[in-house]
Amino acid sequence: MADAFGQQLIALLPNLRRFAISLCKSRDVADDLVQIACEKALANQAQYQPGTRLDAWLFRILRNSWIDRIRRTQTEGVKVDVEDAHYLVGHDGLAATEARLMLNETAGHIANLPDEQREILILACVEELSYREVADILEVPIGTVMSRLARARKKIVAEMGIDGSAKRSEDEEGSAR
Amino acid sequence: MTEHSFSDETLMAFADGELSPDEAAAVEQAMETDEALALKVAGFLESRLQSQKALKALLDEPVPDALSKSVQEMVDRQDAEAGDNVVAFPAKPQGTATGTPRWALPLAASVALVAGALGGFIAGQSGGDAPGDLKMADLSQPAITQALTTVASGKETSLGRNERFRAIATYKDESGALCREFEVDHADKSTVVAVACRIQKTWQVQFTVVAAQNSKGYAPASSHEALNAYLSAVGAGEPMSEETEQSALEALRK
Repeated sequence: MADAFGQQLIALLPNLRRFAISLCKSRDVADDLVQIACEKALANQAQYQPGTRLDAWLFRILRNSWIDRIRRTQTEGVKVDVEDAHYLVGHDGLAATEARLMLNETAGHIANLPDEQREILILACVEELSYREVADILEVPIGTVMSRLARARKKIVAEMGIDGSAKRSEDEEGSAR
Repeated sequence: MTEHSFSDETLMAFADGELSPDEAAAVEQAMETDEALALKVAGFLESRLQSQKALKALLDEPVPDALSKSVQEMVDRQDAEAGDNVVAFPAKPQGTATGTPRWALPLAASVALVAGALGGFIAGQSGGDAPGDLKMADLSQPAITQALTTVASGKETSLGRNERFRAIATYKDESGALCREFEVDHADKSTVVAVACRIQKTWQVQFTVVAAQNSKGYAPASSHEALNAYLSAVGAGEPMSEETEQSALEALRK
């Protein structure tokens, strides 16, 4: 019955919120946005095509809600909180270990990507959607998705100094707070 | 392959498993002898992995109570209203079709009403219109039942009173019943999209959607999604070929 949809929606809240935070760069605005997106999703659930990924459909609604919001607030100018450059770093207490620091560093690099690259990186690499699904969400050609995604990842590789073979150790993760 | 001129996008697609088997084999072969290439691919693999790890903490972050509560309330409210005007979500997507529309229909207009006899698809008017306005495919009209057994899919016929009947497709549902998808254009320019199945020698409407009045001519509706959900929920097979349909309809007329 209907609650299957609702339950799936609720189960996806953390993913929606993560994507929203990456879009808005603010947790407060993100929560607001997720709520709006859920409301729209529930109202339009008949439009969801069973057999397709529900998360992809929800990301699309979420992103469109964000674009609407930007458009409406354009006159005020979009506020970017400079203090919050590390918004993508989880709020899970103090990060003490080296491994944790490195992960936070990657999050920082992701946060510094241009918006158009960051959203694709998150949808494709983090949420593991296919290029096609990402292209549908953003309503851009698949080639655009691929070139932006490749650029974003090359940047991360360069900034991290990841040469592809060396793996940083995470042995000490979780040992200290 | 001796020359390796793969673009970054191709190497990335290889790392992401998005290349066709042939393309992937070519990259794989080239990587065996070209270390620089292999390193690039490794970079794409690593950047994916590191991005996932880096943002994992954000996923683990507890959803604020206010948010989860408010969404839960919306869901509950919707469930409570589900009996009135909501197309229930099918429990599990069925069949092998993954989201590709089963029936290629020209689509426009918005769904005004969803009604049906099968469990889950519940009748109800979304607005507060008078009950007299309730419009469905009316099988008490002999002209419609006749059209159902005679008109081939893709063809149309007049029902009189400025109404037109159009057969869209014929298929068997899970129970093997013969079902037809059809449309009826009403005089007021609204279009009904419906599915009727042959059950115990009579046609029974299983599903109808009324496209909004502003539909321009041959435009069934974005009833599409609802229809697709319905079709996959009842395990509808592929539309019959012209010949199969013809003999199936002939059998009904005997």
